[in-house]
Amino acid sequence: MPIPERIPADRLLDAIHGAGVEFVVAVPDTHQRTLLEAIEADAGIQVVRAATEDEGVAICAGLIVAGRRPLLQIQHAGLYACVNNLRGIGLDGAFPIVMLVGLLGRDPARAPRENFGSMVRLAEPLLDALTIPYHLLETTVDLPQLAQAYGEAEVCGGPVAVLLGEESGPPQGVPA
Amino acid sequence: MTMSRDAVLDVLARRRTGEVVVATMTSVRSWQERAPHARNLVCFGFMGGASTLGLGVALGRPDLPVWVLDGDGSLLMQLGSLATIAGAAPRRFLHVVFHNGVYEVSGGQPIPAAGKISYAALAQAAGYAAAERFDDVETFDGALDGLLAVDGPVLVELITNPEGDFYAAPPPSAQAQPPLLARNWPPVRADLAGD
Repeated sequence: MPIPERIPADRLLDAIHGAGVEFVVAVPDTHQRTLLEAIEADAGIQVVRAATEDEGVAICAGLIVAGRRPLLQIQHAGLYACVNNLRGIGLDGAFPIVMLVGLLGRDPARAPRENFGSMVRLAEPLLDALTIPYHLLETTVDLPQLAQAYGEAEVCGGPVAVLLGEESGPPQGVPA
Repeated sequence: MTMSRDAVLDVLARRRTGEVVVATMTSVRSWQERAPHARNLVCFGFMGGASTLGLGVALGRPDLPVWVLDGDGSLLMQLGSLATIAGAAPRRFLHVVFHNGVYEVSGGQPIPAAGKISYAALAQAAGYAAAERFDDVETFDGALDGLLAVDGPVLVELITNPEGDFYAAPPPSAQAQPPLLARNWPPVRADLAGD
């Protein structure tokens, strides 16, 4: 297992731009706090603040109908909270929704499913149960997976999750 | 006084031009019968998601008006969407809530706070640009053009009768084809792309 790192927010933001994302639909996540700050400051991306993750899934679907490319940015707790819309909209509706999911509280020395806390430990098994593909962002080397997730979502005709293994870091050059 | 849902749909259908219309639950079939159009989106199988599905379309295509035909029980399932919509402030967004006081599809059980709750008041407090409640068709018909001219989002709460439209599960043979939503939205997207 690679040693997980705090990926700088600006590198994550570059990957989001590289994936052609126009809208970030967000329910705040402590784990991705620095990334959300960077996105909010970026005039090239429109941020939609949703009250719940269920709403976030539906907003993403509407944006896709409108011909846009959204990213759903949530925490693992939000993943558990939006299972019904992931099923009813994402899977049954065959919407290619890409989610960036923060694994808050993850012990970086262990693989997520070997963590003690249920929030982290059950995220991958839940996605397995939902038949939703997922990828783990552990280091900057993994960043191309974000753009690849969009292609995969189109091919699969459904949601794809990208799990952020470590807390997003401050932008490069900014002390932690 | 109360209204029939279909009389209200007739009022809306007479004004329908190129709007994207998201219908949910029992209004889906009646709306499709009255106003068949390439821009009808259906919300079935994820109760409560109609308003934010419509919000996504409205944010992605702010040049187009979006109408959402919502139910009171559905809206209650994701009531926070009122704040989400008010915050995003789509300008050409009409949120129609049929307030019949029951969960119609599941057999007419009362919704929480039936007879007490006001969705127009909730929307107003959440920050909608305008929200009004109607209980007769003529008054609604007379006010609708003015409400459609308001910079949204706008919510109209319509006090309607339960119609007895209980949900009949589709036969097993219907499960052999993709779900309705998967068949419905790609043509809508294609139609919007051509505009």
